[in-house]
Amino acid sequence: MNRSILFLLRRLGFYLMAAFAALTLNFFIPRLMPGDPATIIFARFRGKLKPEAIDALRETFGLTDASLISQYFSYLKSILSGDLGVSIAYFPQEVSTVISGALSWTVFLAGTSLIISFFIGTLLGTIIGWNRNSKLDSLLPPALAFIGAFPYFWLAMLMLYLFGFKFDFFPLGHAYGSDVSPGFNIDFILSVLHHAFLPALTMVLVSLGGWMLSMRNTLISTLGADYITFAHAKGLSKRRIMLRYAARNAILPNLTGFGMALGFVLSGALLTEIIFSYPGQGYLLLQSVKSQDFPLMQGLFMTITLAVLLANWLVDIAILLFDPRTRK
Amino acid sequence: MIFPLKLITILIMSLVFQNCSSENAIKKRDGLIVYQEAQISWARNFNPLSPAGSTRWPTKCGIHEPLFIYNSMTANWVPWLAVSYKWNNDNTVLEMKTRENVFWSDGTPFSAKDVAFTTQIKKKFKALDTRNSWEYLDEVTAINDSIVQYKFNRVNVPGFDALATQAIVPKHIWEKVEDPVKFLNPNPVGTGPFTEILRFDNQIWELGKNQNYWQKGKPYVEKLVFPTFPSNEQVTLALNSGKLDWAGAFIPAVERVFVEKNPEHHKYWFPLTGHTTFLYTNTKDPLLKNKEIRKAISYAIDRDLVVKVGMYNYTEPASVTGVSGPMSVWHSPKINSLEDWTKHSREKASDIFEKNDFKRGKDGYRNYPDGSPIELEIIIVSGWSDWIRSAQVVSQNLNKIGVKTKVKTYDFGAWISRMQKGDFQLSIGWTEKGSTPYNLYKGMMSPDYVKPLGETADVNWHRFSSNKADALLKQYEKTSDENEIKEIIYQLQEIFIKNAPSIPLFAEASWAECNTTHFTNFPSAENPYGTLSPNYEHENLFLMLNVRPR
Repeated sequence: MNRSILFLLRRLGFYLMAAFAALTLNFFIPRLMPGDPATIIFARFRGKLKPEAIDALRETFGLTDASLISQYFSYLKSILSGDLGVSIAYFPQEVSTVISGALSWTVFLAGTSLIISFFIGTLLGTIIGWNRNSKLDSLLPPALAFIGAFPYFWLAMLMLYLFGFKFDFFPLGHAYGSDVSPGFNIDFILSVLHHAFLPALTMVLVSLGGWMLSMRNTLISTLGADYITFAHAKGLSKRRIMLRYAARNAILPNLTGFGMALGFVLSGALLTEIIFSYPGQGYLLLQSVKSQDFPLMQGLFMTITLAVLLANWLVDIAILLFDPRTRK
Repeated sequence: MIFPLKLITILIMSLVFQNCSSENAIKKRDGLIVYQEAQISWARNFNPLSPAGSTRWPTKCGIHEPLFIYNSMTANWVPWLAVSYKWNNDNTVLEMKTRENVFWSDGTPFSAKDVAFTTQIKKKFKALDTRNSWEYLDEVTAINDSIVQYKFNRVNVPGFDALATQAIVPKHIWEKVEDPVKFLNPNPVGTGPFTEILRFDNQIWELGKNQNYWQKGKPYVEKLVFPTFPSNEQVTLALNSGKLDWAGAFIPAVERVFVEKNPEHHKYWFPLTGHTTFLYTNTKDPLLKNKEIRKAISYAIDRDLVVKVGMYNYTEPASVTGVSGPMSVWHSPKINSLEDWTKHSREKASDIFEKNDFKRGKDGYRNYPDGSPIELEIIIVSGWSDWIRSAQVVSQNLNKIGVKTKVKTYDFGAWISRMQKGDFQLSIGWTEKGSTPYNLYKGMMSPDYVKPLGETADVNWHRFSSNKADALLKQYEKTSDENEIKEIIYQLQEIFIKNAPSIPLFAEASWAECNTTHFTNFPSAENPYGTLSPNYEHENLFLMLNVRPR
């Protein structure tokens, strides 16, 4: 067990290094873009704002002429003290306020659909991999690959048009209805579920195939291994061999993929958010890049980076538990 | 396994049909549902003074009102919180008389002191002075409860615009605010028709009417409702399904997509704003520095085709004066005897190029006199599809007369920085706006704004200056005499036409739609009492006070 702790600590050290590198890149890359935020906001008024006012804008946003290096150090200092600064696109809102407003919706929608998609996909993959060459096996993979190959926005708009507009089963967008007030009450929760159904369904549909196929393929190669034959010879029940012996081993690549995907949940689902008017991180990210909102960009990239690293570390732990070889 | 499956099915079905019965029937509702801002979640910011773009739209269109409103549809100034104004003899002191019996939404009476305070706060906090008024102001005082006096440090009559259209804030509240630049004003107190925030959630918020409003009996609408919409597709769907009453969105093929679904209630009105979208010509370019060549390029453009292909025929070809629609009243009386290089003529265009020794080479494209090939590039913001299509038509037109032209798109930030630094040849862009063409011609020809190539110029991207125009612009600042103003504008117009600093392309229109199922009396081409487009701050008060529930 000592070894595994050492392994986890070594990984942790590596992730800390990666986090530092990412934070540095977060600072410099956005600043390589041409233009500056005050100019962009000024230009968006399209001639309705007096040109003389642009200095006033710069002053408001606290844009300084200090050298990039000294700006970098004050950036590091404020990050370490947990201060993400003030957003420019949503001035004078704090970056942390702006992000926290979107974060919970993103975690709810994208996170839930990822988990649903991962579990259903992996389960289906196990079943059809075990019963390969069955009817289900020849039907499901091509069908799901077909759906997965649709451009996402097209599928989502089609679903919205059919089930939202034409048949009116689902709302045309938003995270909850105009007749409920957010809070812990049953009307609100039902409304949230009703509104999340269509966006979540589209996200699950397009990603299901990937999880299923990779699980199926790994499982099939695992089934050829000697220890499976041995398990059969021992007379273990089929269900036990399928889940405890074959699937446990075959799930490892999927698990790594899940960790990566879990980290990227925080970058939001831009197209879903735009098509279903759903609040979330993806739209914020687009907005921040469009208006060159450096503080907001840095804040978003930082949460994404940290989430990816954290998710990877958790996967490391999970793999330790699933795969006894890593513990040796 | 059976039990949870059944449960899930029941849950899903109940979710599916939950709202069917209630939402299918058209319910009577008292809230006017509005779309103006493309947002995905709302931030509670009602600061009318802050220049940053994150203030909620009604802040200056419903909550806080100005002294005068310029109605661009009828082209006149409407007294609002002020009843009248007067200049002294040498135009250095301006006095505004404020309206009696106006109350703030908390019941405190409104007075000239609030007006003076609003102007003074911008001196103390320079970042709030977005119109740069303190550059020409010396002192602002409330002489008594109903007269505000502005002392100017130099004669600048156009400075009136900024003072008259300033949204006024209540002194008794804002004087206690420590930093008005960062103040979110979460519970605004205003004089406008809608001031009460009934709810504020990240996806929807509601603004109720002001019970103390000074125009008795108005508004007729109980409240305004703002759901979030991130894109025009969402807006179109919501308009069609009756879940949105009033919107300012660009909808392509609006007749087919929107009106035909229900011609009785689905209305749109895209009137000309008076301003013009320009084809900018960088006058520091070795080819485009020649004004005859700029005119030749203009002759070569088939503007009817540009408007048809690029703008769905929503607008009309530009006038050679650079003003259109309601601003056409500023056309010089001599306009018919002046040059008209916005009239399509491929022959004239070719003639000018021939005369200036830009001959066609073996490949059919024209060369500079030294034999090197002419290659022009039109830069456009990527994703601005109407302008991209317009630029493609222009480039085809130019290729036809032998001038090799191509269209290149850039991200907005990159595009604006190229424009400002003068790193372009041709580009499509907007112009300076105002209640007279003064701002347009100042932006087009004033030497004050011209910067060398590589330095940032916020306007006058084409880098053209005229000393004659400058003298006229300075003269304009000094007069409040209407006839003199007209005469100056005519002369500026003639200089503009003679020099073609840049090329007017098509008239600018504003986008607005309404669904009249629940509410009536929206402005329209037949009843143009104000603008239908919500994209003009303050001017929307006309609509808000006249729309009625059915």
